[in-house]
Amino acid sequence: MFEPLRPWQWLLVAITLAALAALPLLSSNSYVLHVLILSMIFGIFASAWNLVTGFAGLKTFGHHAFFGIGAYSSALVALHSGLSPWLTIWIAALIATVAGLFIGLPILRIRSMPHVAIVTLGFAEIVRITISNLQSITRGELGLWGIPPFESFTLPVLGEMKFTPADKAGYYYLILVLLVFSTGLITLLMRSKSGLALVAMRDAEDAAESLGVNLTRHKLLVFGVSAFLVGLAGAFFGHYIGILTPSAAVGPDLMILVIAMALVGGLGTLSGPLVGALVLTCVVELLRDLNDLRLLIYGAIIITVVMFLPKGLATLGPLVRRRITYLRAPTTSPAKHL
Amino acid sequence: MTFSLFIEQIINGLIIGSMYALVGSGIALIYGTMRVLNLAHGEFYMLGGYLVFFLVVTCGVPAYLAIPIALLAAFLLGALIQRLTIHYLLQREGWAFSTIAVTLGLSIFLQNSALLLFGENVQSVPYYVTGIVEFAGVRIPMQRLLILGVAILTIAVMTYVLKATRLGWAIRATSQDRDAAAVVGIPASRIYLITFGIAAALGAIAAAMMAPIYAITPWSGLPILFKGFVVVILGGLGSFPGAIVGGLLLGVVEAVGVQLTSTEWRDVIAFALMIAVIWVRPWGLFGSKS
Amino acid sequence: MAEAPMLRVENLNVLYGDFQILWDVSMTVGAKEVVAVLGPNGSGKSTVLKAIMGLTPVRSGKIIFEGEDLTKVPTHEMVARGISMVLERRRLFGAMTVRENILLGAYHRSVNKNTASRLEWVESLFPILAERRDQIAGRMSGGEQQMVAIARSLMSRPRLLLMDEPYLGLAPRIVSQIASIIQRINQEGISVVFNEQNVHLSFGVSHRGYLLESGRMMLTGTGEEMIHSDVIRRVYLGV
Repeated sequence: MFEPLRPWQWLLVAITLAALAALPLLSSNSYVLHVLILSMIFGIFASAWNLVTGFAGLKTFGHHAFFGIGAYSSALVALHSGLSPWLTIWIAALIATVAGLFIGLPILRIRSMPHVAIVTLGFAEIVRITISNLQSITRGELGLWGIPPFESFTLPVLGEMKFTPADKAGYYYLILVLLVFSTGLITLLMRSKSGLALVAMRDAEDAAESLGVNLTRHKLLVFGVSAFLVGLAGAFFGHYIGILTPSAAVGPDLMILVIAMALVGGLGTLSGPLVGALVLTCVVELLRDLNDLRLLIYGAIIITVVMFLPKGLATLGPLVRRRITYLRAPTTSPAKHL
Repeated sequence: MTFSLFIEQIINGLIIGSMYALVGSGIALIYGTMRVLNLAHGEFYMLGGYLVFFLVVTCGVPAYLAIPIALLAAFLLGALIQRLTIHYLLQREGWAFSTIAVTLGLSIFLQNSALLLFGENVQSVPYYVTGIVEFAGVRIPMQRLLILGVAILTIAVMTYVLKATRLGWAIRATSQDRDAAAVVGIPASRIYLITFGIAAALGAIAAAMMAPIYAITPWSGLPILFKGFVVVILGGLGSFPGAIVGGLLLGVVEAVGVQLTSTEWRDVIAFALMIAVIWVRPWGLFGSKS
Repeated sequence: MAEAPMLRVENLNVLYGDFQILWDVSMTVGAKEVVAVLGPNGSGKSTVLKAIMGLTPVRSGKIIFEGEDLTKVPTHEMVARGISMVLERRRLFGAMTVRENILLGAYHRSVNKNTASRLEWVESLFPILAERRDQIAGRMSGGEQQMVAIARSLMSRPRLLLMDEPYLGLAPRIVSQIASIIQRINQEGISVVFNEQNVHLSFGVSHRGYLLESGRMMLTGTGEEMIHSDVIRRVYLGV
């Protein structure tokens, strides 16, 4: 899974990136950019959740807490201290990391999956209710607005990068860079010694432990990195959307959305959560008119994928490939079928 | 605050706690027998509330008939859901996670089905009984005493079923060792089906009793699910008696905690208590370490 | 043997995932016979018994008991057919009492009549269990737990009893106790199939044995024949 990419895979990645980078030059349709920006925010979120749940095997259900902590921290620090969002998103990501380590420590002592699920859900509820109750600071469900946008700057080739609701190219490129950063960080982490230990632990926790692998340290590292990335995505989200409410930024719905994305794309794969985020974000936009049905359909999607497509869309890849080889097989080696 | 008011709050805490206990014991039964964490359990509570509302308010069925019908419907719905989803997932690898994920999907699905069917208006059911009981300056509405009575009755019936009936023995045996139970002739898949149904019905009893006091909305399942989780963590996941004690304890702790802070912090108190218990005694307050 | 054997296992193949555990395993058990399945660790001894009981899915092959094909019959229907099993490492309902454990042996509708006389019979075989009836099963010693497990499996009055590693983890004194219990059960007219790694322990009580190696049946015969066989020496001593 984390073997070095083959040449054709590198080519595929390069073409995808080039196409994504060129898109704003070809189309200034801000609606298309908006959908892609949201896809990439959720792509980072889903990948980071997958890092903990799919790769490290720690089934957490409370990562929306870190998204909300990231979003509110960056917005509040930028609002009150006058620091630039360029700086505050990193501060916010670090605050989310600290929160991640804080909740990561107790849950890493627990082997039982249901306990981990319950505690992480409970933790996220504490965060949501706290943000909602501290109205003097966060304005609660009335919404925290007036969050400063990123300052614009000028790039040699692409010209001035603006961050306004009308011109979304700046946001687009920024989140694209953050997505590449996040995917690269996850890949590096999984190829490191910790990553290898984690995969070993996911497959056979007792065996890895008997080999003397210190799981707690590796798990904590992964949990911290994951919280960092989700916090970063949340911070960007706040400055991009411009208004935050506890239900939109820390609500359980958000976690459900991200879980659906990772499941649809394929849990425990690198590209799965990214594909899932793109597919489901587009589905949401297509269903904009059917807003009442949106969550109903999410529920149905999760049920369907778990029941009938347990490894997500990622499993369809080899299936398609197998069908192609099967079609070709009789001409190349008919003997095999005898 | 006077002393009698304080006592009233403790008694109210116990009454609400007895409902938490019913919801939590359903979660505990499902986890205890099939090791499945049911994230859709709150929806059994929510749907139970709507069933009672539909029967009592919309159709005008008297409560003493409506509640048993609602229980039966919840039992059948729970069993059906188990048969269509969990039953298949348990036969596959990775079921510990896939069952959690599918119940998450079910939770959203049922929540939003209720939203479509009943709308987002807040509904409620009239009091089943009226009047207030006063004793030594402590005043408790009859409705709340009825809740407590029904809870005690339900717990007594469940304890009897588990301890003294053929079904109860089969449930206990299956939860302790599925293969050994199969060897003596207990069909695990049928026990799972029935257990899921019973758990759903326990949620519906709580909903029926709370319907006159707490609003029924499509979203009323989620907070009660979280309460149920706190209860099973306190009592030890999978333990029926643990869930009963955990529920009562949570009710009282919340009542006292709210006196010391304010209502908005009720849920934070509950979750903080849960995380503290996990930190110190992950196997629950009453269970044993193994 | 003139009459058809009670149990006939034909060409059993069992796979765990892609890994084949049993290869074309065949064996028979006659009425009132004690048969030992022996073989080294990991040879598939337990899998044979689990496959007969339906606890392990069978890829191909047949299990025929008293003329009826049981290959597709689920585990929980086996007691109704007259087969019972003592699982490896006892597997008691640890939180329940001794009496509750034993009574659960007569859970199935086909065997839950005359529970009192069944209980009386079982407790006559294991008098100590009548004294300990209110004790929590999980808190007993290994030997006592094995007795509860055997008592539980006898409550259905099976015609065939499968015992998966009945001697495992028990002290030598207890092992000889269990061995005499197996003989006693056999005297009641019950066929017994048990598996065991140790050749001499196996032939202490059995009429016949089968030798499994790496999932294949290598040899069958009486204890005397097998102990002097070259195959046994090769499998066990690597000669």
